[in-house]
Amino acid sequence: MAAIKLSINGKSYEIDVEEDMPLLWAIRDYVGMTGTKFGCGIAQCGACTVHLNGTPIRSCSTPVTVAVGKKITTIEGVSEANNHPIQQAWVELQVPQCGYCQSGQIMSAVALLEETAQPTDEDIDAAMQGNICRCGTYDRIRKAIHRAAEIKSDNKTLSKK
Amino acid sequence: MTKDIKQGIAKSMKNIDSANHVTGKSIYVDDIPVRVGTLYACAYGSPMAHGKIKNVDTKAAAEHAGVYSIITHKDIPGENQIGGIIQDEPLLAEGEVHFQGQPIVLVIAETEAIAHAAVKKIKVEIDPLPVIVDPREAFAKGELLSTPRTFSLGDTKKAFAKCAHVFEGQAESGGQEHLYIETQGAYAYPTEHGSVRISSSTQGPTQVQRATAKVLGLPMNKVEVDVTRLGGGFGGKEDQATPWGAMAALAAFVLQRPIKYVLHRMEDMKMTGKRNPYTSDYKIGLDKDLKIVALESTYYQNGGAAADLSPAILERTLFHLNNSYFIPNVQATANSCRTNLPPNTAFRGFGGPQGMFVIEAAIAHAAKELGVDAIDIQRKNLLAEGDEFPYGQIAEGCEAINCWDEAVERYDLEKIKKEVVAFNEKNTQFKKGLSLMPICFGISFTNTQMNNARALVHVYSDGSVGVSTGAIEMGQGVNTKMVQVAAEIFGLDPKRVKLESTNTTRVANTSPSAASATADLNGKALAIACNDILARLKKVAQDNLGHDEKTAIEIKHETVFANNKKTKLTWHELVQAAFMARVNLSAKGHYATPRINFDKTKEKGHPFAYHVYGTAITVATVDCVRGTYEFDCVKLVHDFGASMNRIIDLGQTEGGLVQGIGWMTMEELMYNKEGRLLSNALSTYKVPDIYAVPREIDVHFLNTDNPNLAIFRSKAVGEPPLMYGIGAYFAIRNAVESFNPKAKMAYSAPITPEKVLMGLYS
Repeated sequence: MAAIKLSINGKSYEIDVEEDMPLLWAIRDYVGMTGTKFGCGIAQCGACTVHLNGTPIRSCSTPVTVAVGKKITTIEGVSEANNHPIQQAWVELQVPQCGYCQSGQIMSAVALLEETAQPTDEDIDAAMQGNICRCGTYDRIRKAIHRAAEIKSDNKTLSKK
Repeated sequence: MTKDIKQGIAKSMKNIDSANHVTGKSIYVDDIPVRVGTLYACAYGSPMAHGKIKNVDTKAAAEHAGVYSIITHKDIPGENQIGGIIQDEPLLAEGEVHFQGQPIVLVIAETEAIAHAAVKKIKVEIDPLPVIVDPREAFAKGELLSTPRTFSLGDTKKAFAKCAHVFEGQAESGGQEHLYIETQGAYAYPTEHGSVRISSSTQGPTQVQRATAKVLGLPMNKVEVDVTRLGGGFGGKEDQATPWGAMAALAAFVLQRPIKYVLHRMEDMKMTGKRNPYTSDYKIGLDKDLKIVALESTYYQNGGAAADLSPAILERTLFHLNNSYFIPNVQATANSCRTNLPPNTAFRGFGGPQGMFVIEAAIAHAAKELGVDAIDIQRKNLLAEGDEFPYGQIAEGCEAINCWDEAVERYDLEKIKKEVVAFNEKNTQFKKGLSLMPICFGISFTNTQMNNARALVHVYSDGSVGVSTGAIEMGQGVNTKMVQVAAEIFGLDPKRVKLESTNTTRVANTSPSAASATADLNGKALAIACNDILARLKKVAQDNLGHDEKTAIEIKHETVFANNKKTKLTWHELVQAAFMARVNLSAKGHYATPRINFDKTKEKGHPFAYHVYGTAITVATVDCVRGTYEFDCVKLVHDFGASMNRIIDLGQTEGGLVQGIGWMTMEELMYNKEGRLLSNALSTYKVPDIYAVPREIDVHFLNTDNPNLAIFRSKAVGEPPLMYGIGAYFAIRNAVESFNPKAKMAYSAPITPEKVLMGLYS
């Protein structure tokens, strides 16, 4: 056991866990944030996706020590008012069905939009291919990412004015 | 527009959970805050598929640091039995094991990690017995889970004698792992008076309650099951959520501690059953005009080691053996075969898709032999109003031809055909294939007794409304539809209506959320309860406004109307007046589907409230070097009735289609001869990802007003669209045959890239 300091969504947490504990368990069971989900345990489904310094990673297969000194962002920290363009588009186009994989989907989509302001279908497929949705919401995910890009660019235009 | 939805508030209503889903706030079983003293369970599963248990050594596991207790069948205070339809499934194995992964011992420890580590220290000696994994082998050895069933219509012997063309063959469809992204799980704790409470990820809270009560030797009223929502079910949590709920409850009851058991993905894949694989024989006869005159078929269902739901699934295979076609002479027998695989179970479509694949294979076979387009045979034989199904029901409100013709016209099938032909003439490496897939799916549990539901409604004195039903929200949007029902009947802003969790103490004796019928059954029960309260409120309004009992009272947009005139009385004031007048503001509603019946001794009756129809056009492109494929488009016309929520119903259609494509194309379950699951993780079992989705999905809503047994005439939508996925199989096949007209390919799904490659160069 070791005292480990994590920075999650801009706040610091100190937890006492094994060094090889997957980051996912640290976030869920020790920090108590349950928005990030367990899906497969082998980085094949994407349900556990969080950001490390802005890059999407699979927290089920990332030892907690890897995250020390880095900025962790989870679904709870994507936006202050739950209004990230991705979240807005997700609600507008009604992407989620059962909802379980959607935290991971959104984390991957947020990262894509940070990197590529106007992603093509090909960009979207490449960025989202590691996130499995068993309800089969992929068609809406594609459309919602395009819509989020629109919302984001509208917001920018508005803030410039 | 439907006649039944007057307010218009509801039809475009968004899913009530969507804001929470996109912010990580929705609670699933694994997210429930644990109580002080919570312990964690993990089951030891049999390493062998069949054998006699000689010795169970748990000493090393018990001594593992952090292990609290070891539980075996000996600790069960009641009956060691969780079987549903047939009592043939122990909770924890005793004496014998019948499949790999069958739970034998339960380890209870301070953490999940410790429980998993300790399970590895358990040693069980088993004397092996012969293992059967193939249903035909099981059938030959007389290993049946239930009595074979035979449906017949007309006289096939006479009919075949007159047929111009007769073809015989075999068709096989594989199993399907549910892969709900939320694995199975439950959280149980002891409550007062020797009772237990279980939070379960189950489609069937009453099933969990009933089985747990039996295992614990308790009356059902001492077992409370609560469900908030599921992270996917797809049938996999209809019966198979029960063991994990019962195990958690058993440990909680015996140890008097809170117990959590959420399965790891690989445990879940290894220990739980899948969609039943089928292997079937068919003999199809056509006249010279390509009319199907006769069908004889035999189905061998791979049921796995226990009956689970397989006998009911088998029945639905027979109910859908003719898909969307009228066949005047039918003789069909279905066998549920016992093998040493985990008990196979419900999966969206429930045996229907497996039956439909066989008739589609038979038609494709006939078309190929006759050198005609399968589309021509399909169109000529579509069900029409008044046609008889092989089980005696008469087609009413039949939309088979309407859906087909609408699809052909709307999407310009002739143009698509020409484009496919032109493309194939120009290209050698890539070939396109086209298919049409009509569907017909019966709505109701085929076990008539199960078609009932209840709802409990409270109107609180401040005008807010609480609703409990027996429906389980698992992504199909049923809770949103329930809010729509209450808001519509009361004339309220949906924000005033809160959907409570599904709980056996509020709504008892529920049927599972399954058979696509959840919104119909629970919605109708809810409507009855709401109308009951509304009738009382109308009386209060008449009194309050000084009108007589002949005055027509309506509530629209939270305001009372008398004889179509707006009054000053608001919903809120009306409820307060009713409360002050000591009027009952709560009601329960009970609904049992009228008219339906089925006589199993004759295999005839009217088992379905109504049927859902549709037709999909699919175009696939096959890479003839690699054997890989993608879907250019799926364009479909679907019979939604008068959809009460188009965005939810469209989502079910898109998602069902994708899942059906997965089953027919890429999802390949592999067991070895020892009954060991080889495709035991997401690295070896592939489900559709974003690349697997058709480039274009077009859905046209065929609006029909027929089904008054559907809630607000909005037809059930959960399962039927999955069967459009069968079209993907035949589109790929047709592309392969365009590359190699002599391709030798069995009618065997899934049609993986490997099978495509073999077909291309056969």
